[in-house]
Amino acid sequence: MRFVLDDRAVDYVDGDSVAVAVVRAGQHPQHGGTLCLTGDCGNCSADVDGVPFTRTCLTPARPGLRVHRHPAVGAPPLQLDPPVNPVASPAQHEVQVRRIHVDVAVIGAGTSGTRAADEARSAGREVLVLDGLLGDDVVGVYPGPLVVVRRAAHMLHVHAHEVVIATGAAELHPVCDGNMLRGILTAGAADRLRSRGVDLGTVATVDLVDLDRFDGVEGRVAAVVRRDGSSEPCDTAVVTAASRAPRDLLARMVDDPHVRTVGPASERYELPPVPTDGFICPCSKITVEDVQGVWDKGFQHIELVKRAALCGTGTCQGGVCMPHLRAFVTDRSGAPTAPFTGRPASRQLTIAEAAADVHLDPFRRTALHGEHVALGARMDRFGGWWRPWNYGDFMREYWAVREGVSLGDVSTLGKLIVSGPDVVEALERLYPTTIADIRPGRSRYVLLLNERGHLIDDGMVCRESDDRFVLTFTSGGAALAEAWVRDWVETWGLDVRIMDRTVSLGAINVTGPLAGDLLRRLGVEEPPKFLQHRHTTVAGVDCHMMRLSFTGEASFELHHPIAHSVQLWRALMHAGRDMNITPHGLQALFALRLEKGHVIVGMDTELDSTPRRIGMDWAVKMDKPDFVGRTSLARVAELPDRRRLFGFTMDGPAPVEGAPIYVGDTIVGHVASSFTSPAAGKAVMLGWQKHTPFADTVTIDGRTATVAQPPFYDPEGARARA
Amino acid sequence: MRAPERLWGLRVVSTPDALDHAFYEGDVVVLRIASDEVLAIGAVHAELTDPHAIVEPESTFIGWDLTLQEFEQVVARHVEWPLPTGRPALAQGLIAGIPLKLWFEHDRVLLISSNGLVHEVVDRLGVPA
Repeated sequence: MRFVLDDRAVDYVDGDSVAVAVVRAGQHPQHGGTLCLTGDCGNCSADVDGVPFTRTCLTPARPGLRVHRHPAVGAPPLQLDPPVNPVASPAQHEVQVRRIHVDVAVIGAGTSGTRAADEARSAGREVLVLDGLLGDDVVGVYPGPLVVVRRAAHMLHVHAHEVVIATGAAELHPVCDGNMLRGILTAGAADRLRSRGVDLGTVATVDLVDLDRFDGVEGRVAAVVRRDGSSEPCDTAVVTAASRAPRDLLARMVDDPHVRTVGPASERYELPPVPTDGFICPCSKITVEDVQGVWDKGFQHIELVKRAALCGTGTCQGGVCMPHLRAFVTDRSGAPTAPFTGRPASRQLTIAEAAADVHLDPFRRTALHGEHVALGARMDRFGGWWRPWNYGDFMREYWAVREGVSLGDVSTLGKLIVSGPDVVEALERLYPTTIADIRPGRSRYVLLLNERGHLIDDGMVCRESDDRFVLTFTSGGAALAEAWVRDWVETWGLDVRIMDRTVSLGAINVTGPLAGDLLRRLGVEEPPKFLQHRHTTVAGVDCHMMRLSFTGEASFELHHPIAHSVQLWRALMHAGRDMNITPHGLQALFALRLEKGHVIVGMDTELDSTPRRIGMDWAVKMDKPDFVGRTSLARVAELPDRRRLFGFTMDGPAPVEGAPIYVGDTIVGHVASSFTSPAAGKAVMLGWQKHTPFADTVTIDGRTATVAQPPFYDPEGARARA
Repeated sequence: MRAPERLWGLRVVSTPDALDHAFYEGDVVVLRIASDEVLAIGAVHAELTDPHAIVEPESTFIGWDLTLQEFEQVVARHVEWPLPTGRPALAQGLIAGIPLKLWFEHDRVLLISSNGLVHEVVDRLGVPA
């Protein structure tokens, strides 16, 4: 019986692992290094049937197997056959996940694991025992607890009330000069090979504490040299040790009261002698000299040594190096050193295995998605939704808004209904503007601030009655805003009902100078005036119509049940055919609103943008007794402001968004939004200056730009109110 | 497997006590999706003692009516969390990364998605569109 190692046939005996057969053939699964043959190290890992870093000691030999040794230096070549499709639907992944819920999962079927399982069963609990010898490669333990297991045919997710880690302890590997030679075995490995009938030749056995180094010839061990200076020639060196290394990697992955470690895996063993030479981390080929080097550079903590030297980040995840590294750090620091944190995965996984049943966050489609696609829209992802970026000619869309009438799908806006006896009090505390004086049927633009006074969202407050409001939020901020409102209402103990209507209501923005005319054609005799809203019927669809303006033109948002979105959209498009009605996408919308100087939260703002920094102090009423963020705003109002969002204009085409803003040779900020405005006849921008004193003239894209107060279009707002 | 259907009804937010004693007109399946919120599938009218209750028509939810066998074959393997054993029962959570609801009756399971995520449910679970 044979398999192929590199390009040579290797004979094996029934029952051999690949590693045993390779050693039997006088070879090494890698190019050298101590073998333990228990899966604790990475020194036998090789490419097996196209899967790199496979532990050959745990891989049964079988006919036709193709084993390739990894290069002596560097990583094995990336396998791209078949080609990887990184955006393929997870449903297309070949590896499936099976799930099981049990009372107790015991990892390890040795003495302590068997005892733990028996005790749990005696207590009437359902037990699942997982062990590598049973075909269960436990690759990670997560909070929950959740145990992730790799099996030959699938991945297994074990949800257990309790996890018992009983993985035992491993033999220590030698760390000394010559420890990457071929022909070095742990005592256990030697026993296993002998039991398989492998001839080890002349054997020199040495205890770890007595070992000085290995001498070699042509990459193979030739002699063991002890600390007393004696040398013993050999074909095979066998290293014994009284101490051991707990197999506690899984335990170090998770801090969960429902995960416990028993048996040798939980014990504290004496550390080996402090390493002075050789490879301390065979997986990553890290020497003691390398570790000393990062230590001398100031990385004087075991977690830092790990990250700086990459010691313990290889195939065995510290299985070999941990005790030696702890001995090193303990010696250098003079203080006992605990193991570094463990992280999944403890075993190498293929991409398909790692990605099995892992899903991207889903992106919602509005009810009008099909309409957009049919109109030739280029769809893109914004704020958790698929949205039309443009319909092929965004300037045509721009002019439709400025000169005629256009539709925008704003179904993605966050929408809450709030009601209750304390609702005014709640909104007064939430928003920095006044709420109580909003009359039913009227609405107001509002900012949403956090406790630090930083802008987290914006939107509209529409009052429907004395004790009922509709709140809107940005598309991307809707989820946070909903949680924000709920949390504060609960914290304050106010009597308020909250219903999230974001996914229940579609919304179409009818905008442009002909928007009112279009609505009249569909039965709206008297469209609401600016900042008014009311419930009405449009083309037979019940709508909550809000008059506002983000585009700078007269705009009517029609909020309606999404089951009727298509009906309403088609009716509007049909009624506006002779007006040359054209839907607009986000690209045009961003340009239109920029001409008006309207900020987009998260695009123009930063995480610490206060209303003052974005020039929106007018939306904050500091004479209110309290609102979220008021204390912080009052404090920082006394301090000089070192950053601010400005409007800029300059001749020529607009620079790219993100372009640096210079004063002289100094970068003082960046362009947040930009557009070559036909209305303004020049490039208009919003951008940050973060150096004081703020300049009136800056350089962007090698050209002179001037600070200009937005809006850049219709500064009186006459068109929006028309 | 049957094609999905839109689930018309009412969504109601009110005090827990008022929801406990609410009356819904019609052949209604009442799903208590939160302590203060109900999705009443098939309802056209709700009577509650809470004058501040929010009662709104709801049409965003789409449902796949599955046999137990279809549920086991198509959905169950994607569920990370323990399924309820009582019947009827409501369960909510991520399934294949999508926020979904499950309404278990004795011999059927209603898989419920919001309208905007139907395409993901179809893609990830393989249910009919």
